[in-house]
Amino acid sequence: MPITYPHFGSLTYVFEIVLRELGRTDIMLPKKPSRKTSELGSRYSPEFVCTPFKLTLGTFIEMLDMGADELGIGGGNMYCRFGLYWPVQEVILEDLGYDFKFVPIPIYDKPLGLIKSLQAESNNCTVWETIKAFRVTWIKTRYIELVDELHFKYRTLELEKNQADRLAEEAHRKIVEIQGLGNLREYGKKLPELFDKTIEIDRKKEKEAIKIGVCGEIYVALEPALNLDVHRKLNKLGVITKNCVSFGMLIDFGRKINPFITLPYQKARRVAKPYIGQRCGGEAQENIGDIILYKKKKWDGLIHLYPFTCMPEIITRSIAPQVSREYDMPFLSLVIDEQTGETGYQTRLEAFVDLLKRKKEKKVAR
Amino acid sequence: MSLGYRGKEMKKKVGIPRALLYYKFEAMWKKFFEELGAEVIISPETNKTIKDLAVRYAPDEDCYSTKLYFGHAIYLKDKVDYFFIPRFGSDHEVNVGCPKFIGLAEVLNSLFPDFPEIIMPYFSKAKANHGKRRLLRIIFEIGFKFTYNPLKILKAGIRAFKAQREFEEQLHLSEQNLEKWIKSQIFLNGKPNLEKRKKPLKIALVGHPYMLNDKLSSLDIRENLLQKGINLITSLQMPRCTIENQMEKLNFNLYFQYEREILGTIMYFLENNTIDGILQLAVFSCGPDSIVLELASRYSKRQPETPLLQLVIDELTSELGFSTRLEAFFDMIDRRN
Repeated sequence: MPITYPHFGSLTYVFEIVLRELGRTDIMLPKKPSRKTSELGSRYSPEFVCTPFKLTLGTFIEMLDMGADELGIGGGNMYCRFGLYWPVQEVILEDLGYDFKFVPIPIYDKPLGLIKSLQAESNNCTVWETIKAFRVTWIKTRYIELVDELHFKYRTLELEKNQADRLAEEAHRKIVEIQGLGNLREYGKKLPELFDKTIEIDRKKEKEAIKIGVCGEIYVALEPALNLDVHRKLNKLGVITKNCVSFGMLIDFGRKINPFITLPYQKARRVAKPYIGQRCGGEAQENIGDIILYKKKKWDGLIHLYPFTCMPEIITRSIAPQVSREYDMPFLSLVIDEQTGETGYQTRLEAFVDLLKRKKEKKVAR
Repeated sequence: MSLGYRGKEMKKKVGIPRALLYYKFEAMWKKFFEELGAEVIISPETNKTIKDLAVRYAPDEDCYSTKLYFGHAIYLKDKVDYFFIPRFGSDHEVNVGCPKFIGLAEVLNSLFPDFPEIIMPYFSKAKANHGKRRLLRIIFEIGFKFTYNPLKILKAGIRAFKAQREFEEQLHLSEQNLEKWIKSQIFLNGKPNLEKRKKPLKIALVGHPYMLNDKLSSLDIRENLLQKGINLITSLQMPRCTIENQMEKLNFNLYFQYEREILGTIMYFLENNTIDGILQLAVFSCGPDSIVLELASRYSKRQPETPLLQLVIDELTSELGFSTRLEAFFDMIDRRN
């Protein structure tokens, strides 16, 4: 019974890690979504459902054709309709005549519930083994996200093209393969050094480069096929980027229960309180908070991405102009769906980057 | 209107936009503020002016009903001292409402800084574990804005909940009455016009309360159907236990509280095949609706005996196209019978 799951940026590695740790050997890595995937997905999807639904459905159809028959996806109760993806996709795929089984993982469940549902999918793991597997996953996720951060920085500054891409892929694979937490920590510590040594960078550019955070709905912000690889586009324009949203934070119970650490998303929720007092699904509260936090960190701007008809992010988009004005933090909101034109998107990014550059020059001149 | 009058014993005016959750909690909210001694001003039924305001000022990606909410609120803003826009998450342990209900007050506050003070209590049983204590706190927090008499506040709260219970009891049918309706013994929403038809058709009208009860956005569908000689039942009236029974048949939990009655009603009638047709009205770009529309249409394909018509409505829907589809649907049913 080969199991597969939707492609999800660098988190694809995270899901691979968790399945491996649970003792599954029949993993089918999802294909990178292409134009065809999104067309396939849109053909069978409801009319005004959000874009991640269409892309995940497209991926599932492609993977089922390739022989997978267990589909892993998030489920459970939440404010967003993400938890209802699988029931609808199940009905659609059944109508298309596929034979398969959905494996919904309730991601907002209590920790023990989450462990239980992971255990059910494991290869005869005990509860304790499942907890251990989950722990390894969140620790590895920290390093996967660290690689991403370094990748987006060094890709901007590298002198020889494609070096950062190659190294990041190597590092990701190495983290997935590595055995033993001791080895992992050792490797993880060396990562910044590794990037620094291997890639020759433009030191002058490093000081001048502007920095932009990419926030928004988590799937769109992290999946390059959906956001038209926004990080690469920005890196090419000479911008250092970073993902503000992080999946690792949500599953990192090690840091969550540590009373001495406040995670960035908790900080963001706290500072966003005056504007939006409670969580309302998606990453609405975190994104509003990030505008303030990244201003304090002296970043130059934020790009906010969300899928068309996403319910919580429309709230962000409506409130963000006020916050952005009050804190003098440039903020660009972009809607993404399967029809988004590459050129129009590029033009907007370029205009935004130009604006930030001019703003920075003005500041320096003063 | 005597709204301009400002006497000495001016009552404080509380504005409630007639949209979205108003249709659900109408009785409770009105009673509560009236008991507190405030003047409750509810925006008029949606009209052209309100729709124009909505289309002009509301965020362009919101669903049609949310846009209308903005229209209603803007229409009221100079006429009231307070707005009452609760941030309502859910009133069930697991199931939630729409995320937009929670964000509404804050979005309005942020988009229109010139608004009067918005009273926005936050209540969410599912996500924030709010219970009776929170409710009591909300009641007193709001109450002290209007009166300093705690007894009066408590009384207002109790009466408000009683009013809401009575309203719901009256609205929701008992299972016996549903049986009676299915056997064509009673009419539920007015007597149909039987000029063109010998026997009235039995149709279930399914949708959100803020769609079905809003004459302008539903293009006056209730009256329209009555004129066509149709005996109506709406999803709002369905017995709660019938809906919960249907929901238990699903292999997942449909956690949008207000979609449950929509899908439950459709599933019930598809399964029992006792009526002539089901008419589902959906709001354009409503998130939960997009899910339920698809599920309903797929279920209907699997149990095709009872025809199902799904119509999506937005601010550009033309009356003519709408009625053509309705007529075609009823012609089809007539031919089947």
